[in-house]
Amino acid sequence: MSSVKEHITFSKNINQFDFKKYAWAQFKKNKPAYYSYRILIFLAFIALIAPFIATDQPLYCKYKGVSMFPAFSFSNNCEIRNEQTGETENLQFDITEWKKLDAETIIFAPVPYAPNKTDYDNAEYVAPGAPQLFTNKDGEQVEMPSRFRHLLGTNKGGEDVLSGLINGTRVSLTIGILSMGIASLLGLVLGALAGYFGDTKLQTSRGAFWTFLLGIIFAWYYGFSVRSYSIADGFSISSLAMVGQLLLSLLIFCFVLLIFYFIGKIIGRFPFLNRSVFIPVDSIISRCIEILISMPLLILIISVAAIAKEKSIINIMVIIGLTGWTSIARLTRAEFLRVSTLEYIQAAKSMGFSESRIIFKHALPNAIAPALVAIAFGVASAILIESALSFLGVGVPPNTVTWGSLLNAGREQYSAWWLVVFPGLAIFLTVTIYNLLGEGLRDALDPRLKR
Amino acid sequence: MLGYIVKRIFIFIPTLIVITLLGFIISINAPGDPVERMVSSSQSGGDIGTQSLSQIQDKIFWRKKLGLDLPVFYVSLTSLSRPDTLYRIFDKNEREAMDRLIDRHGNWQEIQQYSNSLNQFYNSLMLFSPDSNEIKKHNTNEVLENMNQLKYEVLALKSSHEPVIIDAKFKKINTILSIYPFFDPFRSPFNSVIVDYNKIPAASTKWKNYIPRLAFYGTQNQYHRWLFGDGGQFSKGLIRLDFGTSYTTKQPVSDVIFSKIGWSMFFALLSVILAYLVSIPIGVKASAKRGSRFDRTSSVILFMLYSMPSFWLATLLLMTFANTDVFPWFPASGVKPATGYPDDAGLFEKIKLSLPYLILPAICYTYSSFAFLSRTMRVSMIETLGQDYIRTARAKGLPENKVIWKHAFRNSLLPIITVFANIFPAAIGGSVIIESIFTIPGMGFETFLGIQSNNYPMIIAVFTITGFLTLVGYLISDILYAIADPRISYK
Repeated sequence: MSSVKEHITFSKNINQFDFKKYAWAQFKKNKPAYYSYRILIFLAFIALIAPFIATDQPLYCKYKGVSMFPAFSFSNNCEIRNEQTGETENLQFDITEWKKLDAETIIFAPVPYAPNKTDYDNAEYVAPGAPQLFTNKDGEQVEMPSRFRHLLGTNKGGEDVLSGLINGTRVSLTIGILSMGIASLLGLVLGALAGYFGDTKLQTSRGAFWTFLLGIIFAWYYGFSVRSYSIADGFSISSLAMVGQLLLSLLIFCFVLLIFYFIGKIIGRFPFLNRSVFIPVDSIISRCIEILISMPLLILIISVAAIAKEKSIINIMVIIGLTGWTSIARLTRAEFLRVSTLEYIQAAKSMGFSESRIIFKHALPNAIAPALVAIAFGVASAILIESALSFLGVGVPPNTVTWGSLLNAGREQYSAWWLVVFPGLAIFLTVTIYNLLGEGLRDALDPRLKR
Repeated sequence: MLGYIVKRIFIFIPTLIVITLLGFIISINAPGDPVERMVSSSQSGGDIGTQSLSQIQDKIFWRKKLGLDLPVFYVSLTSLSRPDTLYRIFDKNEREAMDRLIDRHGNWQEIQQYSNSLNQFYNSLMLFSPDSNEIKKHNTNEVLENMNQLKYEVLALKSSHEPVIIDAKFKKINTILSIYPFFDPFRSPFNSVIVDYNKIPAASTKWKNYIPRLAFYGTQNQYHRWLFGDGGQFSKGLIRLDFGTSYTTKQPVSDVIFSKIGWSMFFALLSVILAYLVSIPIGVKASAKRGSRFDRTSSVILFMLYSMPSFWLATLLLMTFANTDVFPWFPASGVKPATGYPDDAGLFEKIKLSLPYLILPAICYTYSSFAFLSRTMRVSMIETLGQDYIRTARAKGLPENKVIWKHAFRNSLLPIITVFANIFPAAIGGSVIIESIFTIPGMGFETFLGIQSNNYPMIIAVFTITGFLTLVGYLISDILYAIADPRISYK
């Protein structure tokens, strides 16, 4: 027993080449990519805590002896009792004018404005460096205290641009990550199946095959046709209800399919139905990819986003995810074609491991590198598409502040250069970061490309 | 080679079918009822309670002209409880209300009976001509107002499906009916409506909803008609380049497209030509002097251009060079002077007048594909220059110029040709953004307008045409590939 252990530790020692470490070292050498990676972490941090850095509600406030944390609290109001008079005063956090409040101590967020709130004193495009006005506690209009200045100016409605930018970071990064999450899930699984099974390796009995095809119709019927009105009603309630209804439908779909799969297994035992047929997985998936590539995606996304009854960012994420998986699937497929002929896969097969274990546990980790590159580029293009859509005002709810919608507001007044320059710069920077990251990953992960 | 082309064209057919199907699915799921919009926009005035006879006839005409009186597709997956003929219900909201009632109770016979008696009730209201002596006892305006209210409630009842709302409507109609004694003749049809409605939940067969059924409609359906036309009566079909009728202007969509496609094609071609002309020398020079200052600076600039969002660049350009406060060098929108060309202007004169309008859009159209192409060219050239036969050529003592242009260049062209297929549709698809920023009267701007006004025939037409052009682009790039590389033979 001990000799086996020794052998394992020994082989670990001689096999000191760790590809992950090597790739990370390579990646670190690529300075632009490495700095982009660090900037990205910074951006993600900003996106995560955006509601606390750019909000008009103070982080901490002591008012008439009561301590409050409005920006962090879930409740929206606070009752303050005056001990002498017995009167109560109700502070409603979202409509209180905190900057005029006569508080003992008050600590504002670094950017003391919410993205959607109007500052009436500074409406109609106030430039970053221009004199800004402020109504103080006594109701007099005075010069803006430097703590409350709109650092990047305001738009027509007097909304703070910097606050919009910070909250827009959240939208952009979420879009990029979630849509590419959907796309990579689809792309990796479909690409793996196509590459691993090819056209001739997945065989099943004739009965099981036809039962499964029938099962798809039934699963669609019970999952989506029967529930079409529930889904439609979910759409009109909220995006959360919509996602819930869709997930439930998907669950029913998979469940019915599973039932038919087992029925098929039984049916496939009878004579005539037990002849084996090959399922051309590769051809089917490759044809799907080909069709999706020849589709004008931007127009498809625009028109699908436009027919959605309820405008929501989630719709856009799902559409981009459902259409953006092709390059990931292609690269994964090619890599699987290469990997599945290697010896360790043969070894795993001969040990009797299940196909799913071989695909996802043995082959996928070794085939994922090129897909990572495609995912990084995909995030960049997802962010671009989202900002283009909100720039055109298609499919994005009008009250959501995104980089694209800020930029669009700048088109009405070209003299308000800060509305064009800063949001555009934000989009440009993020896209560049992801592109640099993609290039860095490609160079680090593919030793053949090393130049 | 010819055989290969024919084979490729056959492979395109399923792709084209899927593209048309997707476009069709989008257009039938579009919100709102196009007929309702087209008729109400042409005949404003007259409230909902009083649909005039001519308005109804207009609606029937447009429904027929747009083919909306047909079933949607060749087959449909419905339930046992649903009839094959639901599509014949005239009004979209009414149809949905009926369908939702079936969804709730699953017994079409009772629902149909309810719907029929509701229609009879409505018709009796429409035919109402009371004794004038009766009316004179009351305020005429008030009577008319109540009558309109009654009609409105019945119409609303037709498109409601929730029990709570239906009950509320029943109560309201009941109170209106009890205002005047001469409304009494409506009592009996109204009572039969209530009786029929109460029958529905009593005889509920909800289980029928859970049994699937395939319904076949044959070739008399909307998709078939959209593709192949209806024998030239209203539509010639997509295959004869008839894309249907615009919802906003009621013109044929193909007329609009053919009048707009010119500028889009012009910019697409111009951008492709310019991009290739500029990017090839830059890519070659950068790779030939690899690591030099030119290589490094051009790489950085190209990378930045590549990541630059086109709408940002367009806005920046407009802000700087079409702004009267900064540099008023170029006009901000359109492709020709607002007053149009002078009557006696020749072609040369027209070009001269249009030129300032074209420069900014042309830059925006070109720069991204130019950056992409240069980078591709540089990488493929570097790869070729590392080959053995290049070293051999150098060893023979050939001048560097000859090595690069004669030996390396042609072999590194292949990736550039492959991306040709991607650039062509990108120029058309991307034009939605650029054309709407610069208000260029092309297909992209028309698509943008179509999206804003829910003009789906237009959107779908552009979608289908662009999909088709993409396929053509792939075919052309494959053929060029074969010409550039003799090693590739298609058999």
